[in-house]
Amino acid sequence: MDQFYQQLINGIVLGGIYALIAVGYTMVYGIIQLINFAHGEIFMLGAYFAFTLVNFTPIPFWVAIFVSMLFCAGVGMLMDYVAYRPLRNAPRLSALITAIGVSIGLQNLARILWGAKPQTFTDDTLPTIFQQISPMKEPKVFFSIFGVTFTDAAIQFSENVSLAYLDLTIIVLAIILMVSLNRLVSLTKIGKAMRACAQNRIAANLMGVRTNQVIAITFAIGSALGAVAGVMVGVRDNIGPTMGLHKGVAAFAAAVLGGIGNITGAMVGGLLMGLAEVFGAGYIDPMIATICHTIGLGEFYDSEKISHSYGSGYRIAISYIVMIIVILIRPTGLFGKASAHRA
Amino acid sequence: MQILDKVKNFIFKAKNFVFKAKNFVSKLQENITPKTLVLCLLLCIFPLLTYGTDAIASLFSNFNIFLPIPSGDYLIYISIQVCVYILLAVGLNIVCGYTGLLDLGYVGFYLIGGYTAGLLMRHAGVSYWFVVPIAILNGALWGLIRGAPTLKLTGDYFAIVTFGFAEILFRIVKNEIWLIRDINGFVKEIPRATIFGLELNKNWQHYYHILILTAVVIFVSYRLEHSRIGRAWIAIREDEQAAASMGINISKYKSLAFAISAAMGALGGAFLAQFWGNLSAKAFEFWESILILCMVILGGKGSIKGSILGAIIIGSLSEVLRIVLQQFPPDFAGSRYLIFGIVLVLLMRFRPAGLIFKKT
Repeated sequence: MDQFYQQLINGIVLGGIYALIAVGYTMVYGIIQLINFAHGEIFMLGAYFAFTLVNFTPIPFWVAIFVSMLFCAGVGMLMDYVAYRPLRNAPRLSALITAIGVSIGLQNLARILWGAKPQTFTDDTLPTIFQQISPMKEPKVFFSIFGVTFTDAAIQFSENVSLAYLDLTIIVLAIILMVSLNRLVSLTKIGKAMRACAQNRIAANLMGVRTNQVIAITFAIGSALGAVAGVMVGVRDNIGPTMGLHKGVAAFAAAVLGGIGNITGAMVGGLLMGLAEVFGAGYIDPMIATICHTIGLGEFYDSEKISHSYGSGYRIAISYIVMIIVILIRPTGLFGKASAHRA
Repeated sequence: MQILDKVKNFIFKAKNFVFKAKNFVSKLQENITPKTLVLCLLLCIFPLLTYGTDAIASLFSNFNIFLPIPSGDYLIYISIQVCVYILLAVGLNIVCGYTGLLDLGYVGFYLIGGYTAGLLMRHAGVSYWFVVPIAILNGALWGLIRGAPTLKLTGDYFAIVTFGFAEILFRIVKNEIWLIRDINGFVKEIPRATIFGLELNKNWQHYYHILILTAVVIFVSYRLEHSRIGRAWIAIREDEQAAASMGINISKYKSLAFAISAAMGALGGAFLAQFWGNLSAKAFEFWESILILCMVILGGKGSIKGSILGAIIIGSLSEVLRIVLQQFPPDFAGSRYLIFGIVLVLLMRFRPAGLIFKKT
């Protein structure tokens, strides 16, 4: 059971990251019906930018996240202005091809600027609570309450179930950003303008909404949230030029799962996709082993020919499979409204 | 008397046949201008011409002058690659150009062809000439498998499903060790094609081989475009609902397009498996799909000439960049796709219909 709870925690953390990225996809899709393929690259650039800031300037980590958000918002708006705005009235496939072009361009630019090798945030650039504690050292216990122990490494729920402070930060940040985004869209004037644009761009324009401005702001908000997710993934795993493609497509899959164009859908979809990926990766190997042993293929499974790492090998493919199934069975997703244009 | 009738009938049929043949030849003559003849001749004697560059280089090297011109063998190697790209671009053009669906996973079929051929030749010892039809059929089968559930999808959802499909195939090749018999999709020491016991191991032999394959694919694609099938595809592209109401069986023609396009991709893969002699999953990453897509779009979707031109431009640019970038630090070598990304963005901005566009 311990493993289950630990996987649950990991799934929620990954889900928070996916939700942050998926919001960017879904907001842009809701307004201009474009799969912004380059959103994953914004996520990657956010991680690289924060990495560069903390490594080569004395800027502290928390400020670097904020600067990286601003930078990515700028890149998102620039991308919209240079690549997508001229194609606003062109066929949708032209815009999609442009997005793919931008995505490849940014990814290879990052490869030239920062190198193809994955990089990690070094410990001296991170706040103390995010630093890796060597497992050899006995963790220092701060206090414990209701059986939950707070140490300097993580929050221990039981002996084998723990939540690192970094993961806690990811969850808290994701919740704060999501709630404030929801408030922004439903309560403020710009949020109203966004909803108007999503319903009917031309009518909104005729009513005096500056649609181009609203679209630019949408790109900026989505990119800023993507940057936060990028930095967090960068600290948790590592930073590489291709991190945007895989996490990006998984997050897009999450947006589709929740119903593309729907912000609440993206949050729920992100959470579900994170859980699906973690549980899939965690339980697929024992499951295949059990099946093989039951139907009499046990020896074949135990032989050297089977990789025994379906979980890690197909981890990325899980989100693709979920996405394909959702698109084929229920293209409107969990929360999406049926639309004649879609599917 | 009956015999006489039969003879008369035979003579009439023969005359008819001769007339038809003459008609065909004269039609060919109308189509084959001196320009195309010269082009064909040039393509055929191209390997001979490359000896010229070797001769010039060796002539100058006698005087200790080393010209920065590529060796003849390398020129042939590049033209083989470009021919493969032409084949793939013409194949992709069927789905992307004629039926107007954006296929981001074409590399999947190329992978299936390559691994079908590679594994059968390496581990089952099947001859190349038997493997090619098997690879083509297998490619077409997978085209149908992918096509069946996606028939109802259009636009961006179709694109994203094809992308996912190719990525899943890539993962399968990387992970299923029992199938590939090595890690990371490595298939090593694939035997070369043989003709009457003679192994094709020189580049110029492969050049003629792929030239013939490419010519066949272009011919098939050309004939399809001007047939009932091609017109049905274009009708589907222009307006699916209108096409359906005119009595075109959408599912049938779309499936046909997927299968034919996939079969052409698999043919390219099968050739490459024996030409390279080694396969690795790395050769079938997402970027290859984009490269081929870039060729089709550069030339103009739905035009065979455009696809060929695009494949020549992008294919040779890609090879040249690969060589040029090797002079730089290793991180630059992988970054030639930066240019193709920029090409895609600029094309969509300024010439969305490509360099050669058809007025429809």
